[in-house]
Amino acid sequence: MRFRYSLYVVGAIVCAVGLTMLFPLGFSLYYQDEGVFPLLISMAVTLAVGGAMVAIFRRGDAKPMSHREGMGIVGLGWIAAGLAGALPFIFADTFSGSITDAVFESLSGFTTTGSSVLTDIEAVPKGILMWRSVTHWLGGMGIIVLSLAILPFLGVGGMQLYKAEVPGPVPDKLTPRIKDTAMLLWKVYVLFSVAEAIFLLAGGMSFFDAICHTFGTMATGGFSTKNTSVAHYDSAYFDWVITAFMFIAGVNFTLHYRMLRGKPMAMFRDAEFRFFAGLILVFTAIITLTEWGRSFDSFWESLRFSAFQVAAIGTTTGFATYDYELWTPLAQALLLFLMFVGGSAGSTGGGMKCMRIMILLKQAYQELIRLVHPRAVKHLKLGGKIVPPEVVSGIWGYFILFMLLFVISSFLLAALGVDVLSSFAAVVACIGNIGPGLGIVGPTDNYAQIPLLGKWILIFCMLLGRLEIYTVIILLVPEFWRK
Amino acid sequence: MRPFAPDKIDKLKIVIIGAGEVGFHVAQRLAQENKQVVVIDNKPESLRHLAEYVDVQTIQGSGSSPRVLDEAGIADAHILLAVTDSDEINIIACFFANVLNPEMLKLARIRNEEYTLYQDALSKDFLNIGMVINPEVEVIKSIDRLVTVPGAVDFNEFADGQIKMVGLRLKDGPLAGTKLFDVREKIGIENVIIGAIVRGEKLLIPHGQDAIEAGDLIYFVCQDEDLPAIRRAMGHSDKTVRDVLVIGGGNIGMRLANQLESRGYRTKLIESDAKRCEYLAEKLDKTIVLRGNGTDQDLLKEENVDAMDVVVSVTGNEETNILSSLLAKSMGASKTITRVNKTAYLPLVRAIGIEHSVSPRLSAVNSVLRYVRRGGVVSSVSIKGEQAEALEAIVQEKSKVVGKPLKDLDFPKGAIILCLIRGQEVIIPTGFSVIEPQDRVIILSRAKIVPKVEEALTVKLEYF
Repeated sequence: MRFRYSLYVVGAIVCAVGLTMLFPLGFSLYYQDEGVFPLLISMAVTLAVGGAMVAIFRRGDAKPMSHREGMGIVGLGWIAAGLAGALPFIFADTFSGSITDAVFESLSGFTTTGSSVLTDIEAVPKGILMWRSVTHWLGGMGIIVLSLAILPFLGVGGMQLYKAEVPGPVPDKLTPRIKDTAMLLWKVYVLFSVAEAIFLLAGGMSFFDAICHTFGTMATGGFSTKNTSVAHYDSAYFDWVITAFMFIAGVNFTLHYRMLRGKPMAMFRDAEFRFFAGLILVFTAIITLTEWGRSFDSFWESLRFSAFQVAAIGTTTGFATYDYELWTPLAQALLLFLMFVGGSAGSTGGGMKCMRIMILLKQAYQELIRLVHPRAVKHLKLGGKIVPPEVVSGIWGYFILFMLLFVISSFLLAALGVDVLSSFAAVVACIGNIGPGLGIVGPTDNYAQIPLLGKWILIFCMLLGRLEIYTVIILLVPEFWRK
Repeated sequence: MRPFAPDKIDKLKIVIIGAGEVGFHVAQRLAQENKQVVVIDNKPESLRHLAEYVDVQTIQGSGSSPRVLDEAGIADAHILLAVTDSDEINIIACFFANVLNPEMLKLARIRNEEYTLYQDALSKDFLNIGMVINPEVEVIKSIDRLVTVPGAVDFNEFADGQIKMVGLRLKDGPLAGTKLFDVREKIGIENVIIGAIVRGEKLLIPHGQDAIEAGDLIYFVCQDEDLPAIRRAMGHSDKTVRDVLVIGGGNIGMRLANQLESRGYRTKLIESDAKRCEYLAEKLDKTIVLRGNGTDQDLLKEENVDAMDVVVSVTGNEETNILSSLLAKSMGASKTITRVNKTAYLPLVRAIGIEHSVSPRLSAVNSVLRYVRRGGVVSSVSIKGEQAEALEAIVQEKSKVVGKPLKDLDFPKGAIILCLIRGQEVIIPTGFSVIEPQDRVIILSRAKIVPKVEEALTVKLEYF
């Protein structure tokens, strides 16, 4: 592993993050709020540090990037971006001096988790709130994917970076060059974002709120600019628009691309899409029927709130329009299950991803068949194509690590005095990049009550979830750093 | 510009069938030059290996299947390279490609003589193959060049043979330590220009102030008639080649021997297989066919290997070739040429003292690249492994290099213009030379700079 080269690339990524602070700065200047100075100084610090890294570690050789270097760069790049993203909160003193809270909020943004430690969101300067949403948007499609699209020198070995960041077991390459694929994905992402913003503006939402909610939706993040999240508007129109776009964001973006290129059937033929859509539809139906006449008098009202909440949790966005802790235990259990499953591979959603769950289920079924027909020759297929055995074993490894880390982190939180339900829910909500959980971190609460050490555990969980465990955990393996 | 070329260089899309050694290297080179490359192969391992190192799209499947070709986006591709090990797959792939996209340029690697004899069947009608690449023929050509120019490590011709680019090692002598701008005076020849110096493993593009040293491998461009004088000046003897020993009587060995004997060289051929020897003896007239092993010291001694001017080892087994060459060299042969297949071996081979190596695969890579070039580039060769490339191009009217003295040109760094050919006249340029449209130029460029050079040679960007 070439440390100098890796740090050089990380420096370039930090610079890219610094430049994006211009966007919230514009809003701050427009609204003349207290965000101007913190954003300016954060940008200066970020660019200075990133620039210094680039200058000091100027690459000597341009050998293609190894697999290991790719993972190292992505892991370190995300940590660096998370720290840089915390600067505006620190300089604006949003959390009365707590660096932990600032880092928590920043990483919760970048990893599109949407868990907040802010109690009074509406009191925060608009520029800072915008930065909070921008971190979502950048993290959604990926800082690295963005860097691939805009930094030309990353082309060599860019596949290593791409694989390490893009969610899902086997990332698709849409074009011969990775740079073009990254560019296409961002274009689709921007296109849908613009569409959602227009829909929200048409419904009468203010420009600022429309942009922030769009960023929160398309990235499946969940930060809102209102204390009561989307429930603030109490509007069926906004609920349905956001539900629709959350669903879109939970689908593999390469399918969107194919659809926009005039192959609409590609989406419905895709096995993972059918699984994901089926799950959302069936769960919405069950919850609508169980809550109809219980929490809601009208069927349409029940459908509206159930669909929103199922989509919000199922795509790991984590917006809230209703306190689902008041729903039946069955509804809560279904939502908890959705937290584990998450969105599709190649989407901006978190969780374990539908594709992995499908492959695991098929594998389990195949083992059963093998008991009945011991001599059967069978391949594990998905959408008519054989899934290579090493992909399947990779998914098993991922599953085991996911569960192991989930259990260990929950125990640690419980050891810090958080009640059992809340610790389990907080960990799954963070590792799955969802946001709200149950108990003290439920939809009407936030993460402010979690003890200091607990917050760091959850920060780690969010990063694990977004980079799909391997890329982060590998940094902790001594073997990785050896020559 | 050829018809298949797109308007912008980074839009050039190439589909390669076969991720073997040739496919891998061509893909790597083209992807480095920022072209869009899609590779088809039916072995997932080869594809995974390729995708790990090179920025290309990979598709698993048979290259001869139209469905797979369609999936690879053959419809909007510009060039198809069919370079699998099977001639038949390559031909079928070209056939379907011709149906799906008749416009595109098709290159196929075809080794079987039975096919290549019917050139018209391949290049017209159904198949419309733009170029047939036969690595064996290419390799024989390069061996032939090395034999004809004694002492040359590398030898290429440009402008239909008018100009030669030769890589020659400088021996200790009067020229060692001379600064570059004094070299012409010392040799006494005007029309020679030094393009690159390889010192150790490093390739330098030299300036007038740099000095050449003994042991350097020097690439220079000159005209045919000046070559002997330059060779003398660099300390190489005048002795001409008469005796050649070929080890290995496979396809390459046989064709080579055939060519050599027809040119009047005294040729011997060693082959281990008895039946094959019979066949060779039947096919070859003057060549002495010997049955035995190329690594057999007694046989080599018996056949006076020390009196041989050139020993060529071209068996199918590269380890045997390397051993035979080392043995022949240590027994006193004045020059050895070794066939090495694995490109990974090439640097190693030099380190253990085998100076002249040829690789069928590298030759195939070269001939493919030569065809893929655009911007009026008519020919190109790799030198020093793949570190640099010499290009021959016809300058287009609207290119930005036209009409200005060379010293004022904004020519890419890491590339130099070696030579201009205007009609029959060969011009070794100075800072005040001006390029005219339709001039042929020979440019030596570092591999990384090649896309910029191509850009510079094509039409100026016009904004409207």
